[in-house]
Amino acid sequence: MKDKLFKDVLPRVSKPARYTGGEVNMIKKDWNQSSIKMVFAFPDIYEIGMSHLGGKILYGLINEQSNHLMERTFAPWPDMEQIMRAEKIPLYSLESFSPVKNFDVIGFSLQYEMSITNILNMLDLAGIPVWAKNRDDSWPLIIAGGPVVFNPEPFADFFDAFLIGDAEDMLLEFLDFLANNKHLSRQERLIQLAEIEGVYVPALYSVEYNEDETFKSLKPRFKGVKLEVRKRLVKDLDKVYFPEKPVLPYIDIIHDRAVLEVMRGCQRGCRFCHAGIVYRPVRERSIDTLKKQADMQVKNSGYEEISLASLSTLDYSGVKTLVTELVEEYEKKGVGVSLPSLRVDAFSIEVANEVQKVRKTTLTLAPEAGTQRLRNIINKNVSEEQLFNAVEAAFKSGWLSIKLYFMFGLPGETTADLDGIIELLKKVKSIGDQNAPRTVEVRASLACFVPKAHTPFQWQAQNSIEELELKRKHLFEQKKKRIVLKFHDSRTSYLEGVLARGDRRLSPAIYLAWQKGCKFDGWSEYFCFERWMEALEQCNINPDFYTRRLRAYNERFPWDFINTGVTKEYLQRENERAVKEIITPDCRQNGCTGCGVCTAFDLDLNIKEENHRALKS
Amino acid sequence: MRLRVEYRVGPELRFLGNLDMMRLMQRSLRRASIPFALSQGFNPHIKLSMGTVLPVGLWGEKEYFDIELAEDIGIKDFVERMNDVFPPPVLINECNEILNDEPALMKIINAASYKFFVRKSSLDLDLWKDEFTAKDSLVIRSRGKKKDRDKDLRPGIFKVTVQKFHNFDIMEIWSSTGMPLNVRYDELLETMVLTGLDKKNIIDVFRSGNYIKEGLKYFTPMKR
Repeated sequence: MKDKLFKDVLPRVSKPARYTGGEVNMIKKDWNQSSIKMVFAFPDIYEIGMSHLGGKILYGLINEQSNHLMERTFAPWPDMEQIMRAEKIPLYSLESFSPVKNFDVIGFSLQYEMSITNILNMLDLAGIPVWAKNRDDSWPLIIAGGPVVFNPEPFADFFDAFLIGDAEDMLLEFLDFLANNKHLSRQERLIQLAEIEGVYVPALYSVEYNEDETFKSLKPRFKGVKLEVRKRLVKDLDKVYFPEKPVLPYIDIIHDRAVLEVMRGCQRGCRFCHAGIVYRPVRERSIDTLKKQADMQVKNSGYEEISLASLSTLDYSGVKTLVTELVEEYEKKGVGVSLPSLRVDAFSIEVANEVQKVRKTTLTLAPEAGTQRLRNIINKNVSEEQLFNAVEAAFKSGWLSIKLYFMFGLPGETTADLDGIIELLKKVKSIGDQNAPRTVEVRASLACFVPKAHTPFQWQAQNSIEELELKRKHLFEQKKKRIVLKFHDSRTSYLEGVLARGDRRLSPAIYLAWQKGCKFDGWSEYFCFERWMEALEQCNINPDFYTRRLRAYNERFPWDFINTGVTKEYLQRENERAVKEIITPDCRQNGCTGCGVCTAFDLDLNIKEENHRALKS
Repeated sequence: MRLRVEYRVGPELRFLGNLDMMRLMQRSLRRASIPFALSQGFNPHIKLSMGTVLPVGLWGEKEYFDIELAEDIGIKDFVERMNDVFPPPVLINECNEILNDEPALMKIINAASYKFFVRKSSLDLDLWKDEFTAKDSLVIRSRGKKKDRDKDLRPGIFKVTVQKFHNFDIMEIWSSTGMPLNVRYDELLETMVLTGLDKKNIIDVFRSGNYIKEGLKYFTPMKR
């Protein structure tokens, strides 16, 4: 197969190096000597999948620290897919060019709701039945993990199991179990796998709904099957595996650099933020560990850039020391340090100045909303003064271009809040023009707010497409010259909203949408809204039921059985505070806010570098 | 210290673009802890200059780059350290120290040779070669910078040889690169197809060499 690919197939496709494997630091283990064979499947193209940190961690962990093997596969671009289908080439892995159906486990990474159609497409390209119920003992187990599986229900009928939470804490246990129980039938294996904490086997439950169509219950179909699934988490990032020999892509990918995960979780408590809840609590890595990892990664990769990654890197307790020491160490070797996003304050600019001693590209800040009132509602703890100070400091120290992230369609939003975005942009522009040597460029990216499961806004209604479009028009009319506004697509966001708070009844519509040709739904050139709407209609599903409805506090949600450690009471309290426009300060600075996660996991915030300690909840 | 390096790019890496190959070299230099020189300025970069671009889809037996080092190291040491960290398809064949004022590869390389593995068919390659080389002009639409202009490749095609084997033939074509006439590989292939060679019968192609052509003599950049 490899020979045919190189000689005949790949010369005919765009970016053939996506499909060749063979990169530096790729690990190809002996197939016959390995116990369980798993393929890590990313439902988007190579350039995106290879940029994903979680995949790198699991790939290294399984291949370096167990007798199992893990290979990789990605979604082929439609030109490649067409040839694969025409010439009967099944989806294959990049290490051994094995058809993915020959593996024991196929693990999908669900980073984005809309990638589900690509998953069905990849299963189909692999020759594997897409419905879990149609797969007997002879088929691989199809599993998924990632942020989206904190509400796995819309996808439940396609998967055999979901791994909820930090997979490096549980995947080895999962694979070891399979290795030791090869004699069991699929059904028996799944029942026993479901005993592992964090593993959810959807087929073991049946779902009931109320007469008003709302969710009623999820009941175990077998005795002994657990009632709730608690996420897994790594307690100490200093004691857990982290890859020091990252696979080095030949082609230019989205994030092509050494990555240091300085911490996991974020405690800022923005009320719209999914990751901010499901990845609680904050767990930091020590500077010593991070510097050692930087050293090994740079040595083994030759990367020219080290990126400090996390949900909010500027909140890392040792950020300034770490940045200063990394810059000092690597500057002379021509290796740069980068920060993915900045907090909106002057301290951030100070740290960023350390990093960008030389080249000042675009500065990215996220005020998220245009007025103080709305920022209080969403609990984005940024004042106008902080923002303007940050912007002034940035322009004074040489930046000429700034990008600001906002959301629109937020709960409680009025025209004044939209006008506030424009006012804010104008002010930023004028601060720039006063403080920078030449006219500055101000760009704003506007995302449509999508309420997500497990967040304080899970009860809120999402704006309709029409409302969002009116708001977009309004913003455009107010816009001034030399301010660039870029909007997310309201129709994609609408469907994302359907899936984000959806239930099992959506699976026939997902299947039908894929049958109608939906794939690469996150790519505007492939996204087809009409096909999705047709599919929903043909399955008698009213998508507004999932997005437009203000939910009552006594309503049960299909995702309530997934225990993130954060209590529903806390989420409700936060939603009520939003209505009253009251902020809830960061628990790192102002003491425990009682979200429940530390108690649930018998942990404390894991702050490594300074004596910031919050009271235990 | 400045080094000139001749290396091989195996068929597995035939799909890499020029920027991909440069990145591969830069990262290999870092992994091998080579004391490379960095340029001054806001965005320091390794002083690495590649020879003529290897077209996507081809592999190469003798490709070249020059690298400037900040301190002297042994040539043998350099080659060993680089070959240790390269992915298997890349290997240094040869390496020489060159003078600091030696002109860049891009300026001096003016010819290249390509080897085609051609499946046996009703077309006799010797006859085809004779007809091909007997033509006064080989005009195609340019695919390079001056797009869609007519371009005569004939003055840039220097030599064609054919070797016959049991199952296939190997044809080697020497043509000009760079100034004044750049015969692109895709243009060369187009003229071959236009003169009767079936693309499907080409089993494999690689660039067999890059040269400094002086009169009728071809020197490799390593031995001038």
